[in-house]
Amino acid sequence: MTGNVAGKRGAGVARWAAYGWVAGVLALLLALPLLTAGRLPDRVATHWTGTSGRPDGSMPLWAAAVFPALIWAVASAVVAVAHGRAGSATAWGGTVLLSMGVTLVGAQAAIVRANLDHDRWQDAESVTPWVVGTLAAGAAVGVAAALVTRRRVPPGARPSGTPPMELPPDQRVVWLASASNPWLYTLAAVTGATALIALVLTVGGVVEAPLWPLIVPFALVSVLTFGCASVQVLVTDQGLRVSFGPLGWPARRWRPADLESAHAEHRTPAQVGGWGYRLSGLGTTVMLRAGECLVIRARGKDFAVSVDDAERGAALLNAVAVRGR
Amino acid sequence: MLLTLDIADSRPLHEQVAAAIRRAIAEGECAAGDRLPPARELSQALGVNANTVLRGLRSLRDEGLLEFRRGRGVTVAQGAARRSILVDRVRELVAEAARLGYAKSDLMEMIRVVP
Repeated sequence: MTGNVAGKRGAGVARWAAYGWVAGVLALLLALPLLTAGRLPDRVATHWTGTSGRPDGSMPLWAAAVFPALIWAVASAVVAVAHGRAGSATAWGGTVLLSMGVTLVGAQAAIVRANLDHDRWQDAESVTPWVVGTLAAGAAVGVAAALVTRRRVPPGARPSGTPPMELPPDQRVVWLASASNPWLYTLAAVTGATALIALVLTVGGVVEAPLWPLIVPFALVSVLTFGCASVQVLVTDQGLRVSFGPLGWPARRWRPADLESAHAEHRTPAQVGGWGYRLSGLGTTVMLRAGECLVIRARGKDFAVSVDDAERGAALLNAVAVRGR
Repeated sequence: MLLTLDIADSRPLHEQVAAAIRRAIAEGECAAGDRLPPARELSQALGVNANTVLRGLRSLRDEGLLEFRRGRGVTVAQGAARRSILVDRVRELVAEAARLGYAKSDLMEMIRVVP
């Protein structure tokens, strides 16, 4: 009871901290160029060439102030909507907001500093060291936030498991389920076709330079997405087997002795950070579509897979686990 | 899909496999048009040889419960749930008749004269 109240209070504090962070970053993004407007040119340099570090793009001062603020507002709104939909389990929202806020403020500060006391935007100084520093800081904050939120998921605060199914002694009961995501299949097909066309162009000598920088990543994405686009789940008296892709390989197995508990749970891609094989504060999730997931706890770790009819799968798994002990 | 195999059953294995799937269809485990897991998957799940599973699937196709389609695998036929219940009872009837010494032709004659 007290833990619940403390948890609610903690969530309230986190919510107000998030509001404060969003408002503070927004104010900084707008204030940095506007307060220094007297020392900035009418058009400020906002883009630099990668190689020489010379400015090659500009914006009016008001646009340079509003544009990053707009990006920030949209990102905050997206996180807020996802958070509202998925409930308090969105661990990635805080990470994204912290990392992105640091990066945007750093970038804005770099732009203002480079333009300061110059009459023309073409004379603006290089921002390369600032950009590198900002990206590093943003990444570091993101990693730190991810580690903190991961640790904050309380162990044992989950439902303890679906009641086990009653198994007649002279019957072998098995449960098979599968799920697939047509969008991931489409993505795999498109990237695969792109890699294939690039390969044919390269081998055929149609293009001057080989297209390996295009072929290798696209082929890799295609293979990985193809493997994650469908999943088969099998529960037998040997335990649980989750196999990926149309070939049923690779596969993960759990013996009955390893299983601590199983239950069904509603999860969304927003909660676990996207589609496919996901690692998040909720443990490992194989996410192919929002909705019912079979969640198991084995060797102290949580593993979830999105399949229909997960409730009965969990009931059978719990029965198998009890029998295996 | 939940499948139950009766270990105490003395019938041939392929008939047991067919019975398990027939029961699953009758109980609404898989609806009409649903694709059945591949035979390889079923054989691993039930701990039965893949050829035995295929033999069971073929007999269910002959009963009109399953459809084999090239490229789409094995799917549950339209109206299979109702049909599987009836098929089960016909099988019981044939077995009962055989026990009492009637051939299938005798049964068919009986069914023909039923108003």
